Amino acid sequence: MSQNFLDQFLFVALPYVCLFTFFLMTIYRYRMQSFSYSSLSSQFLENKHHFWAVVPFHYGILVVTAGHLVAFAIPRSILAWNSHPLRLYVLEVSALIFGLMTLIGLVGVIVRRLTHSKIRTVTSPTDWVLFAMLLVQAASGIAIALFYPWGSSWFASNLSPYLWSIFKLSPDVTYVAAMPHLVKLHIVLAFVTIGFFPFTRLVHLLVIPNPYLWRKPQVVRWYGTRSKI
Amino acid sequence: MVTRSSARAVCISCFACCLAVLSGGESLGQATADFFRQNCMNCHTIGGGRLTGPDLKDVTERAAAEGKDREWLINFMMNPREFIDSGDPYALKLLVESRNVPMPTLPGVTRQRAEYLLDLIEAESKLPESQFKGLQISDKPFTPADVENGRELFVGVKQLTAGGTSCISCHTIHDLQPLGQGRGAGLGGGRLGPDLTNVFERLKGRKSLSAWLMAPGTETMQPVFKNHPMTADEIHALVAFFESTAGKPVPEPSVSRITLMLLGLAGATALVFAFDAIWKRRFQSVRQPLVDSTPVRGH
Repeated sequence: MSQNFLDQFLFVALPYVCLFTFFLMTIYRYRMQSFSYSSLSSQFLENKHHFWAVVPFHYGILVVTAGHLVAFAIPRSILAWNSHPLRLYVLEVSALIFGLMTLIGLVGVIVRRLTHSKIRTVTSPTDWVLFAMLLVQAASGIAIALFYPWGSSWFASNLSPYLWSIFKLSPDVTYVAAMPHLVKLHIVLAFVTIGFFPFTRLVHLLVIPNPYLWRKPQVVRWYGTRSKI
Repeated sequence: MVTRSSARAVCISCFACCLAVLSGGESLGQATADFFRQNCMNCHTIGGGRLTGPDLKDVTERAAAEGKDREWLINFMMNPREFIDSGDPYALKLLVESRNVPMPTLPGVTRQRAEYLLDLIEAESKLPESQFKGLQISDKPFTPADVENGRELFVGVKQLTAGGTSCISCHTIHDLQPLGQGRGAGLGGGRLGPDLTNVFERLKGRKSLSAWLMAPGTETMQPVFKNHPMTADEIHALVAFFESTAGKPVPEPSVSRITLMLLGLAGATALVFAFDAIWKRRFQSVRQPLVDSTPVRGH
C-alpha cells in the first residue's frame, strides 16, 4: 500500500466516515434512546477517589479541547498571539498543564474503576475501549507538546487549513502528509474518537443545559435494579 | 402574465448566466499561468535558475536529450511519486539534483492541466525574460541591522509580510534569546523541523539558502508558504541571521524539554491542589448533612 493511498485513507476517507457516523448515530440515539444520554455517574458508589480523578480530567480535557477548537476556528488570531515569544510560551505551558491534568485525571479514573469492585461491575467493555483511546490520545498529545513544540503555532498554520479543507469538502492532505507519525496518530485517533462518540457515555457532553461546570456538588443516586452490584 | 415569482426566477437565471459567462470568459492561458504561479513557483523558475526543483526553461529539450518525450513529462507531472517509486533513472536523477526533496503530487493536475502547463513552459522558454523568472535576491554585504532584523523575523516579533508562519513555530537555533539579551527563557524554538543553527553551511551558502527560502520545498513548509511567500528583503535578513549562527554550538533539546515538562508538572500539581482548596467542603456540604440528619435506628 503506497504512502499516498494510506494518507488518502487515513486523512480523507476515515474522517468523513467518522464524522458521518457521529452525526447520524448521535441523532439516532437521541431519538431512539433519549434517556441513555447520560454520563452514568458512579459517584454514588464511590465518592472519595472520584474527586481526584474526575475533576482534573474534566477541567483538563475541556480546556485542551477548547484550545484545539479555537486554533481551528481562528488560526490567524492564535498566530498573532504567538508572535511574541513570551506569549507563545505562556500558551504552550498552559496547554501542557491542562494536558497533564487530563492525563493525571484519566489515570485516576482508570485506577478507580479497576480497584473498586462496585465501579468495575458498572463499567462496560465500551467504557474500557473509550478509556484506552483517551489514554493514548492524552499521552500522545503531551508527547507532541514535549517533542514537537510549538504545536499551537504549527497547528494554526498546518492542521487548521487541513481541517477546514475537510469541512469545505475539498480535502487537502498535503498539510499533514509529512507530519511525524505521532502527530498522525493523534489526528487519526481524534477522528476515531469522534466516530465512537455516539456509542459511549461521552454523549453527556451534548446534553443541554450542561451546568456541570458551575453547579453545586451533588450526589447522584441510581434509580433501578442494583442486584448486580 | 408574468408573475412576480417567475420574474424573480428569470432574473436569477440571468444573473447565473452572467456569472457563468464571466467565469468561463477567463482565458485558459491566464488560468494556467495562475495555476503555475500558485503551485509550481515555490520550487521552479523559468529562466531564473534552480530553486528546490530545476529551472524549467527548455525542459522539453533537456528531457528529450535523456530519451524522455513529452508524454513522459506529462505523466511525471501528474504523479511524480509513482515514477520515483518505480526507480525510473531520470526521475531518480532529478530527485538527487533536488537534494532528495521529491516533487509532490499536486491535487488538480489532470492530463489536460499537465498538457496546458507544459505548453505554457515551452512558450515562456522562448521569451527573452519569462514572467516566471522569480525573485532576484540582493547580493549586498550583510550588516548587523540585517542580522537583528532576521532574528526578529525568526522569533516572530516582526511578522512576515505575506502572513507566513514565523520560523520559531517549528525551528530552533543557537543562542535563541527571544526575550532579549540576558533574559532568555530557556524554552528556545520549535522542534517540528530541524535545528537551523548550521543551516547556512548545510544548504551550501548564501545563494543556495536564499533560493531555498524563496520556495521552501519540504512537504511540511511548502503548503504553508505556497500562498504566503517571503519577500526578497525578508530572505536577505533571514540569511544574514543564519550566517551569524553558522558554526555555533547546536542547542541541546533535552534542556528546554525538561524545563517545559517541569513547568507543566508544577502547574498541574498546583491546579489540582487549588481544586481541592476550592471544594474543601465538598463532602460536608451535601453528604455529611444528609448523614447527620438521618435519624439513628431505634430512636
